[in-house]
Amino acid sequence: MTTTATPATGTPVFAVDGLWKVFGPKADRVPGDPALAALDPAELRSRTGCTAAVRDVGFDVRKGEVFVVMGLSGSGKSTLVRCLTRLIEPTAGTIAIDGEDVRAMDGARLRALRRHRAAMVFQHFGLLPHRTVLDNVAYGLEIQGMGRAERREKAAEVVAKVGLEGMEQRRPAQLSGGQRQRVGLARALAVDPEVLLFDEPFSALDPLIRRDMQEEVVRLHREEGRTMVFITHDLQEALKLGDRIALMRDGRVVQLGTPEEIVGSPADDYVRAFVRDVPREQVLTVRTAMRPAATSEEAATGPGVRPDATVSEAIEAVSRAGTSVRVLDDGRCVGVVDAAALLNVVAGEVATGVGSHADAAAGSRAAGAARMGAAAPAERREPDPAPATTSEEPV
Amino acid sequence: MATLTATAEKTSPPGIRANPTARKLAALALVAAVLVPLAAARWSSGTWPGALTVDVSGPLGRTSDWIIDNRDSHPLFLHFLGHVSNAVVISVRAVYLALLAVGWAGVTGVCALVAWRVAGVRLALGTAGAFLACGLLGMWVPTMQTLALMVVAVAVSVLVGMVLGLAAGLSGRMDRILRPVLDTMQVLPAFAYLLPVVLVFGIGVPAAVLATVVYAAPPMARLTALGLRGADKEVLEAVESLGTTARQRLLTARLPLARRELLLGLNQTIMMALSMAVIASVIGAGGLGDRVYQALASVDVGAALAAGVPIVLLAVVLDRVTGAAGARLGQEPAPHARALWAAALAAAAAVAVAGRLTDRLEWPDGWVVGIAEPVNRAVGWMTDHLYSGVPVVGGTADWAGRFTTWVLDPLRDGLQWLPWWSVLLVVAGLAWVIGTWRTALTATSAMAAIGVLGVWKPSLDTLSQVLAAVAVTLLVGFATGVAAARSDRVERLLRPVLDVFQTMPQFVYLIPVVALFGVGRAPAVAAAVVYALPAVVRITTQGLRQVDPAALEAARSLGATSGQQLRQVQLPLARPALLLAVNQGVVLVLAVVIIGGLVGGGALGYDVVFGLAQGDLATGLVAGAAIVCLGLMLDRVTQPTERRARKGA
Amino acid sequence: MRIRTIPAVAAGSALALLALTGCGAADMTRQASPFANAQGARTVTLSVQSWVGAQANVAVARYLLEHELGYRVDTVQVDEVPAWDALSQGRVDAILEDWGHPEQERRYVEEKKTIAPGGDLGVTGHIGWYVPTYFAEQHPDVTDWKNLNKYADRFRTPESGGKGQLMDGSPSYVTNDKALVKNLKLDYRVVFAGSEAAQITQIKQFAKEKKPFLTYWYTPQWLFEQVPMTEVKLPPYEEGCDADPAEVACAYPVTPLQKYLNADFAENGGEAAELLRNFRWTTEDQNEVSLMIADRKLSPGEAAKKWVDSHPSVWKKWLP
Repeated sequence: MTTTATPATGTPVFAVDGLWKVFGPKADRVPGDPALAALDPAELRSRTGCTAAVRDVGFDVRKGEVFVVMGLSGSGKSTLVRCLTRLIEPTAGTIAIDGEDVRAMDGARLRALRRHRAAMVFQHFGLLPHRTVLDNVAYGLEIQGMGRAERREKAAEVVAKVGLEGMEQRRPAQLSGGQRQRVGLARALAVDPEVLLFDEPFSALDPLIRRDMQEEVVRLHREEGRTMVFITHDLQEALKLGDRIALMRDGRVVQLGTPEEIVGSPADDYVRAFVRDVPREQVLTVRTAMRPAATSEEAATGPGVRPDATVSEAIEAVSRAGTSVRVLDDGRCVGVVDAAALLNVVAGEVATGVGSHADAAAGSRAAGAARMGAAAPAERREPDPAPATTSEEPV
Repeated sequence: MATLTATAEKTSPPGIRANPTARKLAALALVAAVLVPLAAARWSSGTWPGALTVDVSGPLGRTSDWIIDNRDSHPLFLHFLGHVSNAVVISVRAVYLALLAVGWAGVTGVCALVAWRVAGVRLALGTAGAFLACGLLGMWVPTMQTLALMVVAVAVSVLVGMVLGLAAGLSGRMDRILRPVLDTMQVLPAFAYLLPVVLVFGIGVPAAVLATVVYAAPPMARLTALGLRGADKEVLEAVESLGTTARQRLLTARLPLARRELLLGLNQTIMMALSMAVIASVIGAGGLGDRVYQALASVDVGAALAAGVPIVLLAVVLDRVTGAAGARLGQEPAPHARALWAAALAAAAAVAVAGRLTDRLEWPDGWVVGIAEPVNRAVGWMTDHLYSGVPVVGGTADWAGRFTTWVLDPLRDGLQWLPWWSVLLVVAGLAWVIGTWRTALTATSAMAAIGVLGVWKPSLDTLSQVLAAVAVTLLVGFATGVAAARSDRVERLLRPVLDVFQTMPQFVYLIPVVALFGVGRAPAVAAAVVYALPAVVRITTQGLRQVDPAALEAARSLGATSGQQLRQVQLPLARPALLLAVNQGVVLVLAVVIIGGLVGGGALGYDVVFGLAQGDLATGLVAGAAIVCLGLMLDRVTQPTERRARKGA
Repeated sequence: MRIRTIPAVAAGSALALLALTGCGAADMTRQASPFANAQGARTVTLSVQSWVGAQANVAVARYLLEHELGYRVDTVQVDEVPAWDALSQGRVDAILEDWGHPEQERRYVEEKKTIAPGGDLGVTGHIGWYVPTYFAEQHPDVTDWKNLNKYADRFRTPESGGKGQLMDGSPSYVTNDKALVKNLKLDYRVVFAGSEAAQITQIKQFAKEKKPFLTYWYTPQWLFEQVPMTEVKLPPYEEGCDADPAEVACAYPVTPLQKYLNADFAENGGEAAELLRNFRWTTEDQNEVSLMIADRKLSPGEAAKKWVDSHPSVWKKWLP
């Protein structure tokens, strides 16, 4: 478990350190006792009757990024996100929002945090069935004590923003799943929070609608640049949305890094098995496959691609050009890629030890946004089955 | 005994279940082997040994005397109970005067319009028709009296029920404390509630209202707690994540989310309050119940019917309107809802004012249709022709006589002949087989308490009537239920009948059975069967219909005949529902068998009536306590491990 | 939040209750029925007992109060003993026919003074055991209690099991029958019919089939007109022989039936109280009305009207 990140700009939105959540009798003693803390889940349960849902987790969420927490069910990711606003009271560790200690907050302060700074979107929407769409969206504002006319006006704007115009007076029961989640999203957006927390928001939706909603999130993020913490069990979704991904297993973060890092250099066998079926060419960038230009002619001529273009885009360019292509960063040639190197990436041959990794990992927010912009259309193509079959063997 | 053994067999089919059953029975046999010889050696008599009874009638009699002597002087009465009583009288009076002031046209109009807004045009017409029928039968004033009493009782019940329900819904500890109490109150016969309140408040409206509240509040409390606890966890979490305070959460989310349960609670509370308000005429509630009670005293079936019909109409209307209000929840409100409400109110006010101005507040005397005479003629014809001496089949009185001689007497004598410890043993065994050792302990203690109270014999008499009635109910109920489950047409025909029968107050059943079966235990049993049948039929039908269609399809694909499907798939899979039907049947039968004391049923019900009639509260209270114990025991012995939400009683 | 609001609400509602009922003491023994005196009408609440004779009294009193004096009359059916309590509390204003309840009389009339005597009803009541005359004619010796055991098996029914059946009426009636059966060592079982009407129905059924029966019965009673019955002689009544209910072994006394009024009502009840105090008629009068109600199935109101129309000389004297 490594925190590769260095603080980018100012204090992180969320700074989490040594966070534990243990369920069960006398849960307090578990984090403090190194012997107990080291036990694996089954042993812990049989020894103490406790379950540790979150174990010694630490990470920073930077301003403006989409931070994805990914893991299978039971990995503790949903508990983790609830700990951030103390919907579930953490057992041990520190959480700070903009440098302010969340765990030290009193009731009023905590409510202020929930009202104004962090809003959450839920897997099963959590809408109030007896209220109209508009009143559901305005609910957060109502709680804050805003007047009826004002909050309705504000809510109507947000309803329009998520594409639900004309449905203001419907009840949740009259909406489709996707529409309901738009209401959930609008409700969270209506209070204009600093951070949006998503708890597996799309896993209850049909695949096509899920894709639409993902695009919606991408769009919102592009337009507003709001910080997001996104919980998912879907690796594709994590790779598509995340600037950085924390991969959880049994309550611990097993790897934290950019999608490219996770796919390109899995920290252990668990992560490797996890990312095995990912179409690598759609995640890895050309940096992974590029080599220095052999000749100055090679560095000066031929078509170019951006350094954060995906391998799959580069393959398209290479096949169109028929030769190797240049990787251009602000018009400067930083290297070249050829068909062989690109195909190696697809085949999973070049996995580790690429020199330019550190740059990519530190990827600025602009780069992330751009990459996502590029990745989005690529996502629509079906993954090429051939690389998938070859990657059956462990790399 | 027949039913009890039948139940036992049902719960111990061969196979996996047989093992724990056998284990439990073996453990019980062990305990019995030690205790029974001891007990039998010391107190060897068939009936409950006198050495083990505690005579509570002395202290109870003294308490009752003390209360009567101090009712007008002791501070507890002057400063607390007196105020309670006063408040009840003042509020009932206020509602009653308001109803009279609005006049018959106004009341009919307002109720119809409310029904229109919450439940639609058809029910509005039904409501108006029901009220007009009450007037036509010459029962306008008694109907208003009952309505006034109901309004107050229901309001207080809902308030009390909601407070208790909120406590149980919001606090786990309160829930653990309240739930068994409420569950138990739910199964107790209405009659058992009458005496304690009479003891404190004396005969009259306050006692009637308070008995009604005690009887009708538990369903509200249970359903409120259920609604609060059953709320979608994620919605609550979502609401909390937006920074709500606890009060905001309660008002904007928890209560609205529980609306369906709250309305169902209101519906049940109203139905139970009506049922109790009628029974409470025995302790001076007045109104429609009193008219039935008076008519019952003179076996004037026609007059009883004239008062009974308004009760039934009131019950059906109240049930349907609140039910429809519940069903309409979550639907999009009609456009201009507010305007329509305003129009409705304005119209109602106009009707009331018009009535006031034209001085037509009282139901006109000329508009009364006497149904008593034709009904009595019909009943007279029936008693003359059906009552006895009908060739071949015999008259109803002959049936009643034969049922008494061949079923009730042997059953009662058999039960009373059994050594007391063997009765306890049977109870313990049944309860343990069907539940846990806790249920067995509760059931056995309840049964033993009956012995200790010194009413062993009358209780066994009551028990014999209950068993006979349950046997008949289940026989008829299961057969009808199976028929209804297998044929849509039968179900369609049955449904309205069941609906009406299920909403009728227990009291109403007493009149026709006296006319048909005379006086004695047989009519009490008949009334109990008729009262319990709808619930049993309904639960059976639902249980059979809800059997997994895949299982049925699989059986069909293997070529099972429809009889085989029923026996081998539907009935076994519907077992939980059938057990529930047994439980419900027993609870409902007990309630009416007790009331049967009013038509010569004897035993515990008679003791309660006697206690009330002679002001001998000691006898009545002991019988009431025995009824409570009997109810508890019967419920535990037939209660499947998991209790479900259910309607009625 | 909740912790603060709940006590506040509780305190508030307690205050409201106090405000509603007026501070200080509230005597619940002096509360009228909530249904009384509605809409400015003067209301009298009468207790109706379950037997027809009592219904006849009430029907006539009601008719006169409503039609001659302009009162509104409510009737409540209350059993005899609780009726005393209700009368004392003012929930009913008058009992028109009481068969003698010495204990209650002592408590309420003499000690508490919440009930005032209302004078004789004019009817004399007597309780006894009766067999149908057709049976008594065939077996004249059955009319002595000493011979009852001889006929026990003739009186057997399904309800009485192996013993003879002594049919009693409502559990609310004044009765020593269980003690009598025990103390006179009779081979009988007391079976309660549950109400007088049920008892009458049963008697008529028996009479239709000319079956023998033994029943608790009383005069004045209109049923004698239809089913002639003969009294069974019990050990003669002596003053005080029924003092201990468990040891009673003698016949029932002959009782001049009494009226009782709530003390307040007696004082402030105006014309209504006056009329009820003056109400006094004969056994024949009562039977005439009873017969119309019970046998000809007229409503009590109609029966009262018929009687009132035909006997003005009787009731004119009662009017204040």
